[in-house]
Amino acid sequence: MVNPVLLIAVPLGLSFAIPLFGFVSKRIEKYIPVAGLIFNLVLCFLLIPRVLQQPIIVFIGGFRPPFCINLVAGPVGILFSTLIALVGLLVSIYALKYIKEGAKQLYHILYLLLLTGATGVVLTGDIFNLFVFYEILCISSYALVAYLGDRAGIESAVKYLIQGAVGSSLILVGVGLLYALFGTLNMADIARNINSVSAMSVFVPLVLLITGLGVEAAIFPLNAWLPDAHSSAPSSISAILSGIAIKVGIYAVARVIFTIFGASSILHFLVFLGLVTLLVGEVSAFSQNNIKRMLAYSSIGQIGLIVFALGMGFSQGVTGGLFQLISHALSKALLFLAVGYMIYRAGSMDISNLEGMGKRMPLTSLAFTIGAFSLVGLPPFIGFPSKFLIIMAALSTQQVLFTVLIAVVLLGTVIEGAYFFRVVQVLYFKGEHTALQKQEAPVLALVPIFILIILIITAGVYPRPVTGILNSASSELLNRIEYIRSVLG
Amino acid sequence: MKLEFLLIMAFGGAFFTYLVGKISARARNFFAVVISCGLTAAIAFLYGAGLEKTFYLGFLDLPLLLRLNMLSWFFAVTIAGVGALSIIFSLSYIRGKERTDFYYLMMMLVNAGMLGIVLSGDLVSFYIFWEIMSWSAFLLISYNRGPALAAGMKYIIMSVVGSVGMLIGILSLYASYETLVISELSVHIASASPGYVLFLLLLFFGAFGIKNAVWPFHTWLPPAHSEAPSPFSAVLSGILVRMGMYGFLIIFYGIVGLKLFMGLGKGIYSFHHILAWIGAINIVIPTFIAMLQNDSKRLLAWHGVGQGGYMVLGTVLGTNLGLAGGTFHIVNHTSYIALLFLVVGAVEYRTRGVRDLNSLGGLIKKMPVTFIGALIGACGLIGVPLTNGFVSKWLIYKTLILGGHPLLAFAALIGTWGTILSLYKFLHNMFLGQLPEKYKNIEEAPFSMQFPIIVFSMVIILFGILPGIPLKVINAIGTSFGFESLNVVIWGIASETGTLNTINIFAAIIGACIIVWLIARPGKKAPGVDQYDSYAAGAAVPADRYHYTVDFYNPLYRMINPYLRDFVDEFYMKLAAWTRRLCNGVRRVYAGDVGYYAIYIILFLALLIFVQVTWSIW
Repeated sequence: MVNPVLLIAVPLGLSFAIPLFGFVSKRIEKYIPVAGLIFNLVLCFLLIPRVLQQPIIVFIGGFRPPFCINLVAGPVGILFSTLIALVGLLVSIYALKYIKEGAKQLYHILYLLLLTGATGVVLTGDIFNLFVFYEILCISSYALVAYLGDRAGIESAVKYLIQGAVGSSLILVGVGLLYALFGTLNMADIARNINSVSAMSVFVPLVLLITGLGVEAAIFPLNAWLPDAHSSAPSSISAILSGIAIKVGIYAVARVIFTIFGASSILHFLVFLGLVTLLVGEVSAFSQNNIKRMLAYSSIGQIGLIVFALGMGFSQGVTGGLFQLISHALSKALLFLAVGYMIYRAGSMDISNLEGMGKRMPLTSLAFTIGAFSLVGLPPFIGFPSKFLIIMAALSTQQVLFTVLIAVVLLGTVIEGAYFFRVVQVLYFKGEHTALQKQEAPVLALVPIFILIILIITAGVYPRPVTGILNSASSELLNRIEYIRSVLG
Repeated sequence: MKLEFLLIMAFGGAFFTYLVGKISARARNFFAVVISCGLTAAIAFLYGAGLEKTFYLGFLDLPLLLRLNMLSWFFAVTIAGVGALSIIFSLSYIRGKERTDFYYLMMMLVNAGMLGIVLSGDLVSFYIFWEIMSWSAFLLISYNRGPALAAGMKYIIMSVVGSVGMLIGILSLYASYETLVISELSVHIASASPGYVLFLLLLFFGAFGIKNAVWPFHTWLPPAHSEAPSPFSAVLSGILVRMGMYGFLIIFYGIVGLKLFMGLGKGIYSFHHILAWIGAINIVIPTFIAMLQNDSKRLLAWHGVGQGGYMVLGTVLGTNLGLAGGTFHIVNHTSYIALLFLVVGAVEYRTRGVRDLNSLGGLIKKMPVTFIGALIGACGLIGVPLTNGFVSKWLIYKTLILGGHPLLAFAALIGTWGTILSLYKFLHNMFLGQLPEKYKNIEEAPFSMQFPIIVFSMVIILFGILPGIPLKVINAIGTSFGFESLNVVIWGIASETGTLNTINIFAAIIGACIIVWLIARPGKKAPGVDQYDSYAAGAAVPADRYHYTVDFYNPLYRMINPYLRDFVDEFYMKLAAWTRRLCNGVRRVYAGDVGYYAIYIILFLALLIFVQVTWSIW
């Protein structure tokens, strides 16, 4: 019997077992995350067919909801946990060679904890439990940002910690208010009773949760921690933060708005917020000289696009948003992984120092180019169908407003294209470099990079398997009655 | 022959060639030539076939179609032919440069992308191939490093802007009609309101206008054409840019349809009339800017912009004669501009990268075949009788005069005048006058470069003497769009308003030549004069001291120079600088102080609550 609870239990157990394995052999430590995530990925693939037919509800402790903490492995949950396991696995393979110095044992523990937290957030059906897993995720990422132990890393980790703490306290207050109102912490139960109290008293916990979760989701203006944290963390962690952590924040925001509160009136505000986030992110990325900061700001822009699409609040838009979320997770992970070794070889994060990388590291440069093209939305990469769906959704409303908005969104795409194409030119065509030695990244780093490239191209050419899951995921998000019924029976 | 195989051959061939190149450069060259020539032959073989089939359903459940009709065959065979010839030209041009595998991959990918565009039967696959073409062209334009980087950026940014507009147009069509198949759209759109049609046309005009370098979207073209490797400049100027014309034809007549297109607006404010005027501006200004250029490729590039104006002018007027002229001009332009770029490439190859017209000269004896190519190409571009350019220009003038547009016709004539002046400069400064000392030992271009030059020259002459061959195809395209059929014969077009008979012209010119020869024969034979035997004011000029070609049209420059600034480009550059400043400003939101950041969070929360308490909108 494959049980979704194992998706959380196994990595959690393994992460704390790492010191024990360390007693046996120091060399085995770094393989533990890989093993745990392979397990999770296989489990997810086994669960997908079942979940698509019927969401799996796990009652912990044998009580029926609302009296217990329950897990809801619906299409959304399984989609996210597959994504987490997949990207997590690839990054952990990359880290085998990449993480060479510092507190390696702690790195692997924290890494596995981070992903456990992320998986927990997306699977749980209990709002307080969500908060707990969310804190696991956040705290381990604070520590990992500071992993290199240099001044920039510690400074940005502290900044991240302060802002994260403000956000977490807001969430906690919000959860407390909900408990005071409804006497329950079960998300489905709250959702069922949400209309029984006055609109204003529901609104305060709603905005507290949106604001608090929005910090991790990197929605403007709550995202000021992101450029610092993403750029000073080790590249493997940047890939996870950009690829997974902020996506989990988005998930939590979407779950709160769509399922718990059913707050369709705030969706237009979300569209607007997404648009502003997108523009601020892209515009800030445009003038960066530091490659990792550029990628970090570009993440903000992409988050804006995802929020914009989710805010449209009908099935096509939400599907597009989730698709964009996947495509960004894969592409941005690829970009950070590629950049990791480029920075290592160039000895600097300045874009101008990456000249000639097309010769020194041809495969890594190719990976960067593919990731960049995919993010800009060029075919035949995964970014194309996802952007395509979002634009299609916006125009299918047949409203002038949305036509204008999508035009502005695409203006952001143009800016994004400008800075990514500039870097591609630097990699291949800038400067004269005749006497360069080939110094390709190690094989263990190239393996995950290649898997990501293959995924990006395959899903770009043949998106049907992805859209199949996405359609049921978006209907789960939009159909809260169905969600309540499936949990509470 | 299945159309999928063509595309598989084109795309697969590109990657196959790349992989072979990792093993052996000779084998790579062999395969590149064989695959591109094979493609040309295969497409030529498909003449007259009418195919349409769905080839792929996996993309978001939208049916992707391939179809072949006269229009797409016409473009496909041009694309494949120009692609094959430029690859043959590349064999020596690119030898010894860096990243040659990459170069061949991108050349073949661009061609494959263009083939995909013209073979697409629906707008999604059209867009996909369009984008593949755009980004591979970007990589090729940047190939030469140095100033090519800025040119590449300018190109790709404008191209992305255009694609964005096109994507909005395409998906708005989908939202309205639930299909993107071109043939189905043309049925549905008949019920659309004029306002909506205008909205669509403007979006697509932007997208295709940017690619076609129509004024005021032309500014990317001159730097991109001059900085790209010359064989690719030939492809770029010859056919890639003209994908915009293909787009115009598809959207104006293939989807919107003749009746709806001509019915937008009234009199001089009608849509097609305004387009015609844009075409006229597009002829005059760039042609004269071309005259001011001293870089041979930049000079040609500006003509690439200018000649686009003739095509727009011909096609948008909605008459069968105009459409034939405009469409014929596309293929004519392809043949002579590609030829001229290859000529420049050959000179560049032998002189090691010299494109400055002021430092060349006198190469006629050293590179005779190249010179003949340049001469024929220049005649074609000017529109001298017996070249194909004459026929298409004749058709366009005829349309303008018959349609009662004297001002437009005048603009078109002025354009030709500018073309003559600038191309004379081009020919003279490269091939005539004194040969600089340093080029004494220069040789003729290698055969792999001569061959494409010869083929293009022959095409120009052939279509000039027997224009009926392409016009028959073009007439079929016109009738498929619902135009009245033209009376096409092998020597031109017969009609009651004026017959074009190229055979008569040919005979007359041959006759005139014979008469001149007969008169001149009994006279004394002219003595041969050495290239260095020059005199100025009665005194012999020492070799290599005096260069006749510098400041060629100096008085004319001084007169027209102030009027010919590229205001549009200056505007775009200002816009870019302004955007950069704005970006830098916005970035300062992230001030770096964590205190502010915490306040942002609290303020955001406060704002939300305040809005709700005050207006309770949520």
